[in-house]
Amino acid sequence: MGSVVLEQLRKDFSGVTVLQNINLDINEGEFFALLGPSGCGKTTTMRCIAGFETPTSGTIKIGGKDVANLPPNERNCGMVFQSYALFPHMNVFDNVAYSLNIKELKKSNPLKKIGVYTRMLNSKLVKYPKEIEKKVMDILEYVELTNHAKKLTSELSGGQQQRVALARALVMEPEVLLMDEPLSNLDLKLRHTMRNTIRRIQQDLKITTIFVTHDQEEAMSMADRIAVMKDGEILQIGTPTDLYSNPKTSFIADFVGTSNILEGTVVSAENDLTIVQVGNQQIKSKMKKDKKEVQVIIRPENIIVLNGENDNYDNTFEGVIHLATYLGNTVRYDVKVGDHMLVVDTIYESGANIKQSGEKVRLGVSPERVLLI
Amino acid sequence: MRKIKSLFTGLGLVKLLIYGFFLLFLIIPLLSVFLVAFTNEPINLFGSLISLEQLQTTMNQFKNATLDNFKSIFSYGHYFEGLINSLKLSFIVSIWVLVICIPIAFGIARTNMPFKKTISALVTVPLVIPTFISAYAFIIMFGRAGWVTYIYEKLGGEGMLIDPYSMTGIAIVQIFFFFPYALWPMVAAFKVSDISLEEASRNMGAKGWLTFITVTFPLVIPGMLSTALVIFAVSFSDFGTPIILAPSDLNLIVVDAYREISGFFNWGGAAILTVIMIAVAGFVYWLQNYMLKGRDYGVVSGKPKQVKLIDHKALTIPLSIFSGFVVIVPLLAMGTVILQSFATTWGKDPLPNGYTLDHYRTIFTSSLGNIQNSLILAAGALILSVVLAIFVSYFVVRYRSTTLDFMTTIPLIVPGIAFGIALIQTFNTAPLQLTGTAIILIIAYTIRRLPYMVRSTVGTMKSIKQDIEEAAVNLGASTLTAAITVIGPLMLPGIAAGSILVFVTVIKETSISILMAPAEWAPMSLAIFQNVLRAEYYSAAAMSVVLVVMVLVLQAIANRLSGRNGL
Ligand SMILES: Nc1ncnc2c1ncn2[C@@H]1O[C@H](COP(=O)(O)OP(=O)(O)O)[C@@H](O)[C@H]1O
Ligand SMILES: [Mg+2]
Repeated sequence: MGSVVLEQLRKDFSGVTVLQNINLDINEGEFFALLGPSGCGKTTTMRCIAGFETPTSGTIKIGGKDVANLPPNERNCGMVFQSYALFPHMNVFDNVAYSLNIKELKKSNPLKKIGVYTRMLNSKLVKYPKEIEKKVMDILEYVELTNHAKKLTSELSGGQQQRVALARALVMEPEVLLMDEPLSNLDLKLRHTMRNTIRRIQQDLKITTIFVTHDQEEAMSMADRIAVMKDGEILQIGTPTDLYSNPKTSFIADFVGTSNILEGTVVSAENDLTIVQVGNQQIKSKMKKDKKEVQVIIRPENIIVLNGENDNYDNTFEGVIHLATYLGNTVRYDVKVGDHMLVVDTIYESGANIKQSGEKVRLGVSPERVLLI
Repeated sequence: MRKIKSLFTGLGLVKLLIYGFFLLFLIIPLLSVFLVAFTNEPINLFGSLISLEQLQTTMNQFKNATLDNFKSIFSYGHYFEGLINSLKLSFIVSIWVLVICIPIAFGIARTNMPFKKTISALVTVPLVIPTFISAYAFIIMFGRAGWVTYIYEKLGGEGMLIDPYSMTGIAIVQIFFFFPYALWPMVAAFKVSDISLEEASRNMGAKGWLTFITVTFPLVIPGMLSTALVIFAVSFSDFGTPIILAPSDLNLIVVDAYREISGFFNWGGAAILTVIMIAVAGFVYWLQNYMLKGRDYGVVSGKPKQVKLIDHKALTIPLSIFSGFVVIVPLLAMGTVILQSFATTWGKDPLPNGYTLDHYRTIFTSSLGNIQNSLILAAGALILSVVLAIFVSYFVVRYRSTTLDFMTTIPLIVPGIAFGIALIQTFNTAPLQLTGTAIILIIAYTIRRLPYMVRSTVGTMKSIKQDIEEAAVNLGASTLTAAITVIGPLMLPGIAAGSILVFVTVIKETSISILMAPAEWAPMSLAIFQNVLRAEYYSAAAMSVVLVVMVLVLQAIANRLSGRNGL
C-alpha cells in the first residue's frame, strides 16, 4: 500500500485541456474522495493514475515511485469500474481469480503457461492450485459471496456484482484502490448499505483508496479528505467538516451542502465585526475581508426562527414564509426576505406546529455563522 | 520516441501488416489496372522496385502511354456497345424487381395475406443458389428441349416461350433470383412509413387506395430508389448469368472483359473495361449513399402505432397468388436441376425417362477433387478472413480507424470480375508471380468476402465494452493476454457465424473462380461451369445439387449461431 502524489498534472484531449494544475497528496491508508459535477475530469484523473491515459504533463507517484513509464498492467492499482466491467463469460470465482492467474502466468515456464491459459479459458479443464483457491474463497467470504462462487455474474443482483468487482480488485492486494462512481448504478437503499460495506473494508485493510463521486453526501459520509473539482481544476482540498464550514468559494458552499449565497458590499469593518450591505439589509459577520464586493454565505441550519423569547441576535430579518417542506426530522422553510429567498432548516420536534406559507416570521443569525467570501 | 517504438511492437506491427496486406492485394492492383488502361501492356510495379532495368522499362511504358483505350470506349465501338447493353440490362432488371417487389412487400408488411409465413420463408431460396446454376436451370427449363417448352408447344405455342440465350433470358433470371435483395428493405420501408399520417389521411375521408397512392407510396419512394440502386449494382456486377446465357452477338461488359483477358490476353482492353466497371459501380454506390444521407427513413412522428393489418380478401388473395407465383419460379428452377441430377436421360418431356444415382456416383469419384478443392480454398479464405477481421474490427472499433473501415468497403463496390482482372495483371510476373496459384485465389476470395466478415465481427466487438478489456489490463494482463482470455472468448459466436458465411460465399463464388482458378485447383463452381459449357448437364446438375445442399446446411448453422448470440 502506498501514497499517491500528483504534481502539476495536466491532460489535453486533441488540444482541449480537460485537466490542469492538479496537485494531490494522498496519504497511505487514506480514504480520499474526488468530488465534482459530471464532466469535471474526475474519471480522467483516475484513468491517468491507473495508466489508461497518458498525462500531457506532470508527474504521478505511487508509493513514492514515478509511474510515468509503467504500463497500466504493471501499476498494481485495483480499479472498480462504474459498470463493474465483470467478465460475462466467467463465473464469480474465475472473475475474482483473474489477477492471481495472471501472476502465476508471469512466473511460469512455457508448459505451465499453457495450463494457466487453458484454465483462464475454461476453469473446468485445469484445476486451481490450493493457494489461489484459498485466497479467492477468503475474499469471497469477506464480501459475503461464498455461496455464489460458481454462478455467472449475470445471475447476480447489482449489489452482488458490485461486491464481485470489489473482491476482484482487492484480491490482487493493490497499492491503491480506485473506484469510479461505484454506487451510481445501485438503488438508494443499497447505496447506503454499500457505503458502509466499502468504508468497513477500507478501514479493515487500511488500503489507500481514491473514490470518485458526484454525490456530495456520499463523499462527506465516507471520505477522510475530499478534493472538490470543477472544470478540470481542484478548487479545494479538505476534511468533510473543513469543506462544510470553510468553503473557499461559493461554488463549494453550494455544492457541499445547501447554502444561502447573497451578493453584498462591505460598508464598515470595526473591531471584529464586518458590516455588509445586502439589498436594503445590513448583515454583520465576524469574518474579515479586505475586498469590498463580497459574497455572504449562511447555512440553512444556522438561521434561527425567532419566537419572541430568544431575540438577542445581532442579525435579525423580517420575512414571509413562502414554502414549508417537511423532511422527517427537519422542516425546511423558503422564506422571502426583501428581494431574497432564504432557505431555513429547523429541527422538528414532534407535536410542534409547522408554520404555514404566508405567515410572517423573524429570523436570526449570529455573526460567527456568517461567512464572507 | 515511445510512439515510434510502439509502432514496431505488438499491435502496432499487426496494424502495419494489415495495411501492407490491403496495399499489396487491393490498392496496388486497382491502381495498376488503371495504369495499364493507359500503357496498354502489363506493367511490373513490384519489379520496378527491385530492378533498375525493370524500372527503366516501366518508365518507357509510361512515356508511351496513350488515351487510345479511353477514346475507343467513346468511339461507339464494341466496348461502348457492351457498356450500354450492360447498363440497359441492369436498368431493366432493377425496374422490374421494384415492380414485382411492391405488391409482395406490401403484402408481407401490411396485410394478413394467406400463406404469408410460407412465402416469407421461401423468398430466401434464390439467395442460396449461385446465379450460374440458376442460369443453367433456365436453359434446361426454357431451352429447346426444356419441359416448359414442351408444355408451351402442347398448348399451341410455337418455338420457345422465352429464349434463355438472350437479353430477355438474362434479365428474367436476374429478376427472379435478385428480387429478395430488394424485398426486405422494402418490407421495412412499408412497415415504418408514417402510419399516423396515413391515418390522418383516412380520417379526412380518403379511401384506402387513395391513401396508398397519395401518402404511403410517396413515403417509401426514397427507400425504394436506394433499393433499386442496390439491384442495379448487383445486376451490373453479376457474372454467372451472362457468362452462361449471353449469346455471341450480345456484348455485355463483364463477358467482354472476361473474354479479353482469358481469350485474347488483351491487357489494355481488359484494363479499360475494368476501369469502366469500377467507375460505374462506384458511381452507383456513391449515389445510393448520397440518397440515404440525412434521411433517417423510419422516422415516425408522434407516437409509433401498431399497424392494423389489412384483411380484405379481395386484396389479400390476389396478392398471395402473385407472390406465390414469383416465389415458385426459383423453386421450379432448382427442382428441375434436382430432377435432372437423378435422370437417366431427359428429352423434351415433362419428366425424365428414368432415374439413377449414376451422376452422383460419377462426381463422387471423378470430381471428388473439385469438392476437395472448394473445401480447401474456402477453409483457407476462412482462416485468413478470421485473422484479418478480428484485427480490423479491433482497430476500427477501439481506435476508430476510418482508413481500415474504408478499405474494407472497397471490395463491396468493385465487381468480382474487375477485381480478378486487376489481380491477374498485377501478379503476372516475377518477383511476385502469384497468378495461377492457390494463394492468390484464396487472397482474392478473402478480400471479396472480408466486408461481410468484418461487419459481423465489428458488431460483436462493439457489444464488448471497452472497460471489460481495461479491467483485464488493470488486473495485470498484457493487451495480448486480455485479447486471448477475454476479448477472444466473447467474440467467438460472432466469429463463428461470420466465418461460416465466408465459407459459404466462397463455395458459391463464380467470377473469381472462373477467371483465376488454375486447373489443378478447380473448385466446384468452375467444374459446373465447364460441364455446362460442354453441355454435360447431368453431372453439372448433380454437382449443383451438392453445392446447394452444402450451402443450405452451412447457412442454417450460421443462422443458428448468430441467432443464439442475439446480444
Ligand atoms: N477520450 C476522450 N477524448 C476527448 N475528450 C474526452 C475524453 N475523455 C473525456 N473527455 C472529456 O473530458 C472531460 C472530463 O471527462 P471525465 O473525466 O469523464 O469527467 P467526469 O468523470 O468528471 O464526469 C469531459 O468534457 C469529456 O468530454
Ligand atoms: Mg466519470
